[in-house]
Amino acid sequence: MSIELTDIAYRYADVIAIDGIDLSIESGELLALLGPSGCGKTTLLRVIAGLEFPDRGTVRFEGRDVTQVAARKRHVGLVFQHYALFNHLTVFENVAFGLRVRRFWRRPRRAELKRRVSELLDLVQLGELARRYPAQLSGGQRQRVALARALAVEPEILLLDEPFGALDARVRGELRRWLRGLHDRIHVTSVFVTHDQEEAFELADRIAVMNKGRIEQLADPQTLYTQPASPFVCRFLGEVNELPVALHERWTGVRDADAIAFVRPHDLELTPSRNTDAARIESVRDLGATVRIEARHPALLAPLIGIQERGRFAENALEPGQSVAIAARQWVIFRTGDITSR
Amino acid sequence: MNAPRRHSTALRDPAWLRTLLLTIALAFVALFLVLPLIAVFGYAIEKGFDVYLASVTDEDARSAIRLTLLVAAISVPANTIFGVAAAWLITRFTFSGKNLLVSLIDLPFAVSPVIAGLIYVLLFGAQSSLGSWLIAHDIKIIFAVPGIVLATTFVTFPFVARELIPLMQAQGSEEEQAALTLGAGGWSMFWRVVLPKIGWGLAYGVILCNARAIGEFGAVSVVSGHIRGVTNTMPLHVEILYNEYNRTAAFAVASLLALLALATLAVKQLVGWRMRRAEPEHDAA
Repeated sequence: MSIELTDIAYRYADVIAIDGIDLSIESGELLALLGPSGCGKTTLLRVIAGLEFPDRGTVRFEGRDVTQVAARKRHVGLVFQHYALFNHLTVFENVAFGLRVRRFWRRPRRAELKRRVSELLDLVQLGELARRYPAQLSGGQRQRVALARALAVEPEILLLDEPFGALDARVRGELRRWLRGLHDRIHVTSVFVTHDQEEAFELADRIAVMNKGRIEQLADPQTLYTQPASPFVCRFLGEVNELPVALHERWTGVRDADAIAFVRPHDLELTPSRNTDAARIESVRDLGATVRIEARHPALLAPLIGIQERGRFAENALEPGQSVAIAARQWVIFRTGDITSR
Repeated sequence: MNAPRRHSTALRDPAWLRTLLLTIALAFVALFLVLPLIAVFGYAIEKGFDVYLASVTDEDARSAIRLTLLVAAISVPANTIFGVAAAWLITRFTFSGKNLLVSLIDLPFAVSPVIAGLIYVLLFGAQSSLGSWLIAHDIKIIFAVPGIVLATTFVTFPFVARELIPLMQAQGSEEEQAALTLGAGGWSMFWRVVLPKIGWGLAYGVILCNARAIGEFGAVSVVSGHIRGVTNTMPLHVEILYNEYNRTAAFAVASLLALLALATLAVKQLVGWRMRRAEPEHDAA
């Protein structure tokens, strides 16, 4: 089921959470809302779920206006950040909840209910733990119960709020790949909120980068990375060097005094140079597969950061104190005006 | 609220101090709590079991017991419904006047019960215009059962709400939101999610409310009019018997109240214990 948001605005007392958002999500898509905390991404998710009603704008599911429809009538599955499981019910009963609260004539019979809950528990690989209580489960297991519970009502839209936020790094990675696999099988339109760009890149078909209640850019991961629409997007997607015109004119050919070149650390080339007033290497840290190099340039406040593969680093044999020339394999140019206006 | 599970040995007092403090505490409890309780039962059966039985099955005593139970049976459910509604309102919604409502809930604790009784006498008594209208229409509130129910309800008003508000605040509303998105209506959300979550806390509040409703003296004394066999509750009946130098009968009825109190205490302990077991996460916090 597709979702179309038109001109959505929402404010809490005196804080603007969402400031006029248009977004259309295609049926069967897996979309990430990515942004720093306080950018309005969770509020937007709750607006789609029907837990918050926008001050302005419309929410449409498959063209049908649902802006004023209550959460319980939207048939949207929502997985909460802290799971919000019913602690007094077993895993089985948690998953069965959505079926049990249906009106009598739509409620599945006992055998049917048992079959469907068991199916879902198998889907999330928790068939063995049906009789346990949430307090007896690990974080990753609780997360999967929350997912099964949301899927039990056969939603056509699945919303996930920071689905992996409360898990440790290893479980997070496993669950992420598992969720992507699940989505490829069941094809439910899914939207998830995250502040972790790596997570968004690994899972999502498209990513909406949000900042201060607005969408800065909506694109697939590759476009987002190679053609960021704004300095904010560029900075949010990972470390980036910002070089003034004097440092990049030689290799970009741009002569505009306001042009700043944004260069990712692994696109930054640092080669030994005899020119002593160029950048000077400050530190070299071995990260295993890669080596992280920090260099100082007299014209810059922040250090320049370069990341090189181990083999490549060995060729140049860079060490602290050495003077280096700067170049880049890839860059994006923004003008100072764009930067200060954000 | 809960004592830490593990004490640091550095905080342990020397043995003589611990023994001294324990002795003082136990002596205090024995002198002010246990001894009076034993005295109540002692005086109650001092003239033998037959007299005891006769005192508590006496026509007036039976009517006092009936009235007390009737009053509790009305005011406890009323305050339970009100308490749940108020706690729900206060913890789940923001509205102007919320702080005022919270303060008002505490009012009966702050006001002396005698004054609470007087308020009703002034409000519904013959001197007031409302009172004369009621008399004209032959509705009796003061010096009748409705007045006693009103006064008791007023005094026991805060117990349930006070117990639930901090509990529901700590629990938050995420589970309720989850229930909403799963299609639960207000009614099934209340029975399936809210009530199981607050269940033991609610039971605790109801027990305290009930204990106070049965034992209330001050407010009821003002509005009752002390009509034997009609508007006497158990505590009032005890007072009357005692003032008539009928010590044994007075203590016999008092012993019933004490038994009720002990039973309440036992149930309260049980509920408190279950509550701590049911909420391990909140305990740790």
